[in-house]
Parts: sequence; C-alpha cells; structure tokens
Amino acid sequence: MIAFVTRRLLLGFVVLFGVIVITFVLTRVIPSDPVAQWVGERASAQQRAQARRDLGLDKPLYVQFGRYVWQLLHGDLGYSLETHRAVASEMLDRLPSTIELVLIATLGSSLVGLPLGVISAKRKDRWPDHVSRILSVSCVSMPTFWIALFLQLMFYSWLGWLPAGGQLSTEVQLFHEIPKVSGFLLFDSAVSGQFVVFWDALKHLVLPSMALGAWGVGMVARMTRSAMLEILNEDYMTAARSYGLPERVVSWVYGLKNSLGPTTTVVTLSIGYTLVNTFLVEAIFTWPGIGNYVATAVTTLDYPVIMGVTIFSAASYVVLNLIADIIIATDPRVRL
Amino acid sequence: MRPQKGLPGPAPDSSRESGRRASVRGGVALSVVLVLVGLVFALMMAACGEEEKADGGQQAQGKQVAIFAYTREPITEWDPAVEFAEGIITLQNVYECLLKYDPAADEFTPVLATEYERSDDGLTWTFKIRKGVKFHDGTDLDAEAVKYSLDRTIKIGKGAAYILDSVKEIAVVDPYTVEFRLKEPAPMDIILAAVNATYILSPTAAKSHPDDWFTQGNECGTGPYMLEDFQAGQQVILTRFDDYWKGWEGNHFDKVIIKAVPEAATKRQLISKGDIDITMELPPEDIEALKKDPNVNVMIEPSFQNLFLVINTKKKPMDNVLVRQAMCYAYPYEDVIKYALGGMGSQSRGSVPVGLWGHGDDIFQYTTDLAKAKELMEQSGVGPGPHNVEFAYASGDEAQRKSAELWKANLDQIGINLQIRPGPWGTIWDRATTADAEDAQGVFSLYDWPDACDPMAFVQPFFRSDGVLNFGYWSNPEADKLMDEARRQSGLDRKKAAELYVEAQRIIVEEAVCVFTFDQQYAFVLAKDFKGYKPNPAYPHVVWFYDCYREE
Repeated sequence: MIAFVTRRLLLGFVVLFGVIVITFVLTRVIPSDPVAQWVGERASAQQRAQARRDLGLDKPLYVQFGRYVWQLLHGDLGYSLETHRAVASEMLDRLPSTIELVLIATLGSSLVGLPLGVISAKRKDRWPDHVSRILSVSCVSMPTFWIALFLQLMFYSWLGWLPAGGQLSTEVQLFHEIPKVSGFLLFDSAVSGQFVVFWDALKHLVLPSMALGAWGVGMVARMTRSAMLEILNEDYMTAARSYGLPERVVSWVYGLKNSLGPTTTVVTLSIGYTLVNTFLVEAIFTWPGIGNYVATAVTTLDYPVIMGVTIFSAASYVVLNLIADIIIATDPRVRL
Repeated sequence: MRPQKGLPGPAPDSSRESGRRASVRGGVALSVVLVLVGLVFALMMAACGEEEKADGGQQAQGKQVAIFAYTREPITEWDPAVEFAEGIITLQNVYECLLKYDPAADEFTPVLATEYERSDDGLTWTFKIRKGVKFHDGTDLDAEAVKYSLDRTIKIGKGAAYILDSVKEIAVVDPYTVEFRLKEPAPMDIILAAVNATYILSPTAAKSHPDDWFTQGNECGTGPYMLEDFQAGQQVILTRFDDYWKGWEGNHFDKVIIKAVPEAATKRQLISKGDIDITMELPPEDIEALKKDPNVNVMIEPSFQNLFLVINTKKKPMDNVLVRQAMCYAYPYEDVIKYALGGMGSQSRGSVPVGLWGHGDDIFQYTTDLAKAKELMEQSGVGPGPHNVEFAYASGDEAQRKSAELWKANLDQIGINLQIRPGPWGTIWDRATTADAEDAQGVFSLYDWPDACDPMAFVQPFFRSDGVLNFGYWSNPEADKLMDEARRQSGLDRKKAAELYVEAQRIIVEEAVCVFTFDQQYAFVLAKDFKGYKPNPAYPHVVWFYDCYREE
C-alpha cells in the first residue's frame, strides 16, 4: 500500500511538472504584452523598461522558468498584471467560495445520480429506465454554460424564484453581519447562528450548483446503472435473495455497495471536471470564486493568474485521482 | 437461477417476489419523495425570497441604496495619485478635485475651489479654496491640503502625474488660497478638473499611515461617499459621509454598491428585472432589445474615444498624397459604424472628437466614394498594383478587426492589398515607433482618448514632427507652428486656441495623414426610476451618485 501511494505520488509530481512546463511555455508563446498591461498603454519608454526589469522579462526564458519554479516552491505565484496583487492571496480569498460550490454540486449530483442509476438498472428497459437514461444523457451532453444560462433565465427572469447571481443579496450584505470563521459562507453562518445569512447563501447556491452538478448527475447515474446491471446478475445476489433477505436490502445495500467502486472513481474525478466548469458557471452567476477570477484573467491575458489557477486545478486533479485510487485500493478484492 | 431483466425470472415464492417488487417500488417512491422534498424546499425558499424582496430590495431598512453593475472590478488601485484606469468610477464618488468640467458647455463647476484667476502671462494661476469642507477623517480642507495632495502626485510620478508637468511650484498664499506657478502657459483649470491625478486627500491621514495605506484599500477624501467595504474582485460598498459640505437635504442615496458583473446576459436580466439601477458596456443587440423594455431607459451619449488609422507617409506608395486621399475615400464609414459598432458611433470630423473644444464642425469629411478613389489612384501614377500595405492593430478588438476587413474589401478594388496584421500592443507599438519609417507598418490603428479635457491629446502627439506617437512619420512646418501656438494659447485664450487647432486639423485632413473613422458612443442602461444621471464624456463611465436619486 505504501509503495503504491509513493509510486502514485511520484507520478503525480511528474504530471504536475509537465503541466507547469506546458503552461509556462504556452503563456510565453501566445502573443500578449505583459509590460503594457503592467504599466498601461501610455507609459513612457523608461517606465516600460523598468517594468520589464521588475517583471523579470529581460532575462532568458530558462532563467524566468527557474525563478518561477523557485517561487512556486515557496508558495509564490507572482503578481496579477491587472490588479498588481499577489495571485496566491487573491486565489486564497476566492477558494472557499469555489470549494463550497463544487462540494454542494458534487454532493447533489451523487444524491440524485445514485438512486437514478439504481432504479434504472432495476427497471432495465422499462419506462423508469428510459426516463433516467434520457435525463442522464442530456445532463452529460448539454454544455454546462448553456444549462447555466437556461436556469438563470428560467428561475430568475421568468419565474423570479431565485437570484440571478452573487453569493448574497444586497440587503443581507448591507444589514447583516457576515460571519467570517473558515471562509465557507454556509458553514460559517450556520455555526454562528446567522440563519438569515445562511438561508440567503443557500438560495444563491441553488442555481450555480444545479448547473455545475448536472454533468455529475448524468455520469453517476450511467456508471451506477451499468455497474448495478452487472452485479444484479451475480451469484451472490441470488444467494442473498435465497437466504430470504428483503429485496430492499439486497439491491440497495448488497448491490449498491458492490457497484460503488467505479462510481466513486467517477464522483472523485467529476470534482476535478466540475472545478474546470466553474470557469464558465461562476462568470455567469457572478460567483466570487476562482472560476470567475480566471475567466476574467483569460479575457485580459493576465498570465500569472492563468498559470496559477491552471497549476492549482492540475494539482487538485492529481490529488483527487490519488484519493480515488486509494479508496478503490481499500477494497480487498483489488490487488495492487 | 439467474434473474434477468429486472428480476422477472422464475418465482419460487410469489409472496417474496411481490415483496421484492414492493421494495423496488419503495426505492422508487423514496427517490420520488426525495425529489419532491427538494422541489418543495426550493419553492419555499423562493416564496421566502419574494417576501423579503417586497419590503427589501433597494430600499432596504429605510435606506436608499443604488446599485451599479460594472463589467470589471470597480477599482484596482486605491491610491488616488496613482490610479490611471477604471477606478475613477469609484474615486469620483469618494474624492473631489478643485473643479469639474462640462465639455458640452465648455464651463467649469467650482468644487473644492470657489473661484480662480489667471495672470496675464498665463504663468500664475490662483485658486480660492472652499471653506467648511471636511475630509472623511474629520479634518478641514485648506490650501495646505491642496498643495500636499498635488505635490504628492508629482512626487510619486505614476499614472497620469505627467499632466502636472508644467507646474513649477505650488505655493500656499494664505490658509485658503493656493497659487500654481508654471514653467510654461498651460490650461490649469482643465488640468485640475482632470479625471486622474488631481484628487485632494487628507494630509493628516496620509502622514499618519504607511505609504501603501491607500493602495491597501483605504481612502480619505472629501467626497459625498465613504468606503464602507471593499471586496477585491467583486464590489465596493460606499456609504454617505454625513458631514459632506453640500449637505444631505433632498433626495439622495444613502448607500452605493458598485459591483463587477462580467457576463452581459446577466447584466441585461438584472437591469430588466429592476435589481440594479444602472449598467453599461452591453453588446449592441442587447441595447436594441432593451430599448423596447418598459422597465429601463437607454441613453446613447457621445464619448471622447475615437479610432485613428494613421498612414505611414514615408512608405511607398503612401508617400504620395493622392494615394492617401484615395485610401480615405475607400474607407466604408457608414458600414463600419453600422456593422462594427452596432450603430453606436458617428463619423469623425478631424482628429478632435465631437463635443470637445477644438472640434471643427466645418472640417472636410471624406465620404465613401470608390469612383473618386480609383480616379485619384490613376492620377497618382503609382501604377495599377496591387500595392501591399501592412495594417496593424492591437489584437483582440472586434470593432477594429471588422473595420479592417470592410476597408480591405474596398481597397482591393483600387489596387491596394491590405495585409491585416493584428498583434500584441507592445510588439506593434515598438515597430510603429522605430526610427526608420521603412521598417514600420503601413497603417497603424489605435483608439485615442484624452487624459485631461484638452484637444492637445488628439493632435500634438500624432501629428507634430517630433510627436511621441507620430506613426505617420509626417512633418509639416506650417502645421507644427499652428499646433505650438494653439498649445501656448490654450493657457491664455481658449477660443483662439480652438481656432488654431481646427486650422491644424484642416491641413492634416487635406494631407490625409490619417483616416479619421468614428467617434464612439456609449450606451447607458438605467432603471426607470433612477434619475439625475448626466453622462459626461470627460469622465467616462463615471456615475456621480450624489446627484442621482430614486423617483418616488
């Protein structure tokens, strides 16, 4: 087990290094002008030369790369060309909002996707199966930004049930104390007993998490269905039934438990995918997270921010992959 | 026994089978219940939201709140001496300058100065400072504070500090009189009404904190609103300053929220539902739709931003004035405004945009006339071509890309092959300003806008022989003389200066140094009951919330 984890960790580092090299080269190759961004278009030649030195752009590429990696090891992701603030601290400010959103979306997609998959498998080729399959295929194939725009149009513009975006409504922001304990708004407001804030935050979470979770619902339902179908035919299921165990226990405990392996992998990896999807969804719902942050950075070619978020996303992917592997490895049937 | 297809296999025990079915049904039922509970939950929340909105919204708890949805972060640099970008939309509500300028009427509104006078030689300007004005820290405004603030801007030397370059010395004559002594005549009234670099801040606050106190997100001005909360990347919350010198009689907003809403679709829905009071920078198709929306008002106003296509006058075949004129005649002015700007612009007349002094209503305007262009090409004797002309613009701008393509189609017909080469600003800029005109691009496209309300920004840098932005490599002693005299007169006799600028532009247009394409217009979308907003092109995108109110 330890050897396995070590091997995977080392591999993860190789992957991350590759990502760093690629993003570094890409951000230098694409045509952009960091100096003009840093000092403004109307700066004098002298100001521009100074900025070039300050940003280290006068050094050869390998020196710049070495410096970048060195700073990265010290947790320094450089400075945003637009805001002149440290990328690492700007990301840390926005991270809790994104994590909150991604976790709720993932939790929601598992809660909906799992029963959907089980029902689908148990009712194979009957109408519940058809409905669930149409639903899951739509969820997987519809572009997330489209779902987001549609949900916003329907629940905000037409029905007026839910807010268009943001994390809190104006009056709550102005007239209630917003608790700051961990940075996770839902958690903080719940533990500090600020139920008005909690309620408001929850309302604002519904649409973005639905948009983000849709893909996961489809993936989880499909994966659960196929795993369940296989398991329902296993001898031990028949054995369980012949012992007289109620069907509820047979399918929802024995069956589901055994089909969870592949589903867990899908759920864990879908967190990574969801993280990437936040780029569009957060911009649409004005969500103050890193997705919105990097979406703005992409339009202004703020490359330190783009690199920072890319490396963070890659690192999360590697870590989540490792976690998925470890979870599967705890299954005694899996040989490492 | 292998049960197949949802367990229809041989049933040894019918009761057990039915039990099995029942439990499957139970599972389905459970899921359905879960989904239903979720839906009810969502509906309850929604209903709750409606209730809250009925007594809340933008008049929450008896306070009048104005909400401005801007596209990007409302401010990134809080130091008023340094900020040189969009932060003005926030700073203009928190800080004040000595004067405010209304370019349409060419009039100044006294703000922190009550009156001022200029010496006959234009080298000394004396300003009387308003009494009874308090900074947000409670200290009083006086001449010392004015001197301190502007000296500080000059000393830091960042952002738009260069607009104060002509100042030799700022002297405090008495506690409420300040004197500007200049190196050369300059329009100090216009400079001190500029949108950047001339904000007055509290010396007490500046001296009692470290140098980067402002940059960290703090303020200490005299404006009607104070900073309540700043969430980087998201929004700024301002609250009224009770001791504001104009007082709070009448209908005003108590709080102002300026937030970043990057997505145009979201902005459009928010304004249409009345959840925000004002927004801007929407695509033309959204503006068209919103014009028909009964809940909003759409204002289309001129801006001081225009697009120049500067022609390299040293490169073949554009060294021939007839070729340059032909290129001007080949430009599709109307189509560009229609297709690239969605109708939000007007054809330029000379280099100074409409609405700014120095703009000439009777300067010659080229029209799109391909027959005339062909005739000029023949007269020029440069041969049938096709002549290759490289066209550069800063990549990423849709309006410039479309404009270039439409122009290229017309130029093809008169024997000029326009090679469109977008690039990053720094790269195209470096090439456009090389010493040897042969190495530079044939045509350089860029937007221009003024830092202070002085037409100089649209003339000198581009068309004076030694101008820092002389992308045309053009030199004309007569025009140089007119520009120099105009600049000198701008600090003495603005009317005279305006005439001289118009004369200089006549030569520039005649010589076809540049295709003057369009003066841009901005669209502002306002909630129906949001009143009092007057856009001022000298302060782009700025909303002075103190002047605005909600109609009951």
